[in-house]
Amino acid sequence: MSAAAAPAAAATPVVRIEGLGMVYPGGVRALAGIDLEVHEGEFLAVLGLSGSGKSTLLRCINRLVDPSEGRVWIFDREVTRLRGGELRRLRRQVAMIFQQFNLVRRHTVLDNVLSGSLGRSRLLPSLMMSFPQAERARALESLARVGLADRAGSRADALSGGQQQRVAVARALMQEPRLILADEPVASLDPALRHSVMRHIEALNRDEGLTVVCSLHDIDLVERYATRLVALRDGRLVWQGLPSEFDRATFRSIYGEDAEPASNTGF
Amino acid sequence: MARREPAAETGWRAVLERLQAGGIDAVLIAILLAMGELLVVAFSGRRGPTGLLLGAEQILDLLSYGRWLVVGVALAALWALGARWLGASPGQALVRGVPEDERDLAWTETLRGWFAAVFIELTFFAGWLITELDLYAFLTKFGKAADIVRGLAQPSTSVLHEGLILLVQTVFLAFMATAFAIPIAFVLAFPSARNLTRGSTLARLAYTVSRTVMNFVRAVEPLVWALIFISWVGIGPFAGVLALWVHSVASLTKLYSEQIESIDTGPMDAITATGASTLQVLRYGVVPQVIPPFLSFTIYRWDINVRMSTIIGFVGGGGIGYILKPRVDLGEWGEVGTLVLLIAATVWLMDLISAKIRERIV
Repeated sequence: MSAAAAPAAAATPVVRIEGLGMVYPGGVRALAGIDLEVHEGEFLAVLGLSGSGKSTLLRCINRLVDPSEGRVWIFDREVTRLRGGELRRLRRQVAMIFQQFNLVRRHTVLDNVLSGSLGRSRLLPSLMMSFPQAERARALESLARVGLADRAGSRADALSGGQQQRVAVARALMQEPRLILADEPVASLDPALRHSVMRHIEALNRDEGLTVVCSLHDIDLVERYATRLVALRDGRLVWQGLPSEFDRATFRSIYGEDAEPASNTGF
Repeated sequence: MARREPAAETGWRAVLERLQAGGIDAVLIAILLAMGELLVVAFSGRRGPTGLLLGAEQILDLLSYGRWLVVGVALAALWALGARWLGASPGQALVRGVPEDERDLAWTETLRGWFAAVFIELTFFAGWLITELDLYAFLTKFGKAADIVRGLAQPSTSVLHEGLILLVQTVFLAFMATAFAIPIAFVLAFPSARNLTRGSTLARLAYTVSRTVMNFVRAVEPLVWALIFISWVGIGPFAGVLALWVHSVASLTKLYSEQIESIDTGPMDAITATGASTLQVLRYGVVPQVIPPFLSFTIYRWDINVRMSTIIGFVGGGGIGYILKPRVDLGEWGEVGTLVLLIAATVWLMDLISAKIRERIV
């Protein structure tokens, strides 16, 4: 157990994973024997090459994919056992941010943010896209937090990539989650815009105390934002530790002997 | 990633593939032999009981299909056994793909290539005979048809008034059929989309049932549906509306569901992750993506329905076809000409409008 996680270690972990494995139909194995705990208030970065199983790991946590082996608990409830309404109620507390933003492109920015409240909305009004005044106010507030209050009425696909991802962050915030899963949130953005999105996710972690599990492949970002790291290689957990413990040898063990850090990351 | 688990190919699956390939080979060989026999009989100069040369249907009736099927099965089995020397058979190439070591060969270097070449050649010859192509008649006997063309070129105004009125009926007939088809096809499209029906056994069942029924409904021509509905609700435009409606539901369901199958699943994942229910996921993750193509398909379908509604009257389904048919039978070519021009103008106009609207939407 690393030093940073020690204070929270006594409490129940936010996420606990035991023996998690995933084989996709067709026989491709994406994960094998993953054991992992994520603690309250952590910013856990998941490292690894593309195809190492980072996405699958995150998607197994909120059951966007059903793992083929092992068990997952969130806040002490076993997610891998939940079904139907129970699973949906649990998902409300777990927001997800995607590499491709996954906004409803033809809807307005505000409607996209409002969709974060679907889990607690009444069915019929929500199907007519009608939301209570209080939720609309909250959505505008979330948009203001990511600096996009003035774009509330624009169509989502009229925004730039960085702005769209900030709308996705506002949607996640709207969900009032306790845990955020972020799957390569800045990988499809211009490098210059990465921090503009990461800063907002960091703020949720630092100011709201939300637990964040974020897959990243850029070492600069990891060192700057994460409180703890785990690394996947070929679907297995090969390393975990603190950002300060991450060095060139570790880098090679994760990315392979031929890999070079993409930029001057200080080691 | 991409490390494969031990091959999932079990014994019975391989056996099933072999049987499938063998069956395809047997049928192909039997067809080839039957076509060969057809040519032999046709050119043998054999005459029927009336003393005339045999017609295509009579020859088709004579062929020894059973014998060729038995021979086909035997040859297919031989080819399967001798695949190492003869190369992969057509059936094997279809079912399991062309083997690695035969990919770079020209068609003349494989038995399969020659088989395909002869097969295609024979298909053309047999097709020529079976459909009784007659170049001589085509080139020399234009005289009779010239009357019709002359009539069409001199449209008579006597039927113009009635034609215009029925034309209005035709367009509305198509409109009602399309409009009533939209809501039903919209609802049916979701259980008919593969990507939405993987979740449970019930969903897969709904997919299979819906797809099967819709394929059947679509396979039956609107004219046949019109006959059914005429005996149900009586001759007239309402029977035509019902006939086109049934056919439109089936074909729009197919078009809609294929559109749903091609959506970006990202927004669906995002909405699912918020804890939304299935209906909410469909409303937010699927519907916004498919509305523009749905509109485009629907207008296209209206366009098709206008064209179809002009002939649905031939069997009594109302619209302009209703007065066209008797005039064709009586040989009133001038009046037929008027009606055909009216139909052509309408179809052309609908085509133009629908193209413009679809251009704007997509």
